Amino acid sequence: MTAPHRTPRAAPRNPGPSWGYRFMRLCDRVVPEPLFRPARALGTWIALLNMPAQRRHSRDYLRLVLRREPTRREIFRHFFAFEEVLMLKLRVAHGRPHRGRLADGSADFHRFLASEKPALLGTFHLGHSDLVGFILGGQERRRVSMVRQRVGNSHDTEQLGRLFSNWISFIWVNEGENLLFTLKQAVAAGDSIALKCDRLEFSAKTETFHFLGARRLFPFTIYHLALIFELPVLFTFGVPGGPGESVVHAAPFWTPDATLGREQNLALARAHFQAFVTQVEVLLRAEPYWWFNFLPLNPEAAA
Amino acid sequence: MPDPLLFKLKVLIVETLRLEDVTPAEIPDDEPLIGGGLSLDSIDALELVVRLEKEFAIKITSSEESRTALASVNTLAAFIRERADPARLPSA
Repeated sequence: MTAPHRTPRAAPRNPGPSWGYRFMRLCDRVVPEPLFRPARALGTWIALLNMPAQRRHSRDYLRLVLRREPTRREIFRHFFAFEEVLMLKLRVAHGRPHRGRLADGSADFHRFLASEKPALLGTFHLGHSDLVGFILGGQERRRVSMVRQRVGNSHDTEQLGRLFSNWISFIWVNEGENLLFTLKQAVAAGDSIALKCDRLEFSAKTETFHFLGARRLFPFTIYHLALIFELPVLFTFGVPGGPGESVVHAAPFWTPDATLGREQNLALARAHFQAFVTQVEVLLRAEPYWWFNFLPLNPEAAA
Repeated sequence: MPDPLLFKLKVLIVETLRLEDVTPAEIPDDEPLIGGGLSLDSIDALELVVRLEKEFAIKITSSEESRTALASVNTLAAFIRERADPARLPSA
């Protein structure tokens, strides 16, 4: 994380009118889903036509993940997948029951849930991952401090926070000069910390990893925090499951080894993160619309 | 004779932040630690703060305090002298 005082407060990054969320909530209550869903699709087409930069970034990403030029319809499907998750978050934020189910092969996540110990929880802007922290709080009764970027219209996130306020708190990465101290206090209070680790904004420590055909820069701050606070790192992501359900996938723990030197620990951390990035890439090759990246792709490392 | 606390702090800074090209003696007493010639970032500052808290059993609870303390080695030494148990300070 870089010095937060250099960043603008509440950068209005999410597009759409200020009344957009309220309008969608209202429609969701009064318009039957067989009508409302096509209306959302139409709205997504309008958004797509009015957002040339995001459209271009979506095309750049889809070209790499599909290994061919994406069609306009595929770019629409990328936008619509994001819209549908946003709609889901709004519905969960306003009380719709939603459960998380742990995917097979996530033994370390079971261990994390069974223990009282906090962890640094990493994830990407992928599928239902935004809901995993809230599922951990609301369903598993674990206290989680979520590091997020506050945008001008983060109503969905804030409403979710209110609903799960006994278990969830936010650390706004782009607000306040006490960011790192808030993080320190949250760790001291025994909270797990959830961080998104796919975008470079606000990340002081970055490293390159093989992703989508090139070595690309990714945030690596989570592992430095793990060494500082002597906490394990657990990467998770959520994907759509059955109705009212997200399936939570988790990579194995990475735990700093006190018997090893820092460089040896960081070498193991690099291998750990590469394994997770590879796991994500395998998923995205099968489900390309699930990575909600409408920003420039993580830059390639300089040759 | 150099101030033993200043020297200890410089050794701690070099060790904690693994400054390979800098020796303790090369760290000036009065230059800013963050944003100065050492090129430290906010995570480095956090790491240093956590190490100092352990070493001297003190608490640095806000970025304001951290900025004051980490303004230079001299200000850091003054901050620690003010808050730490004298038994934890190096003797001359």
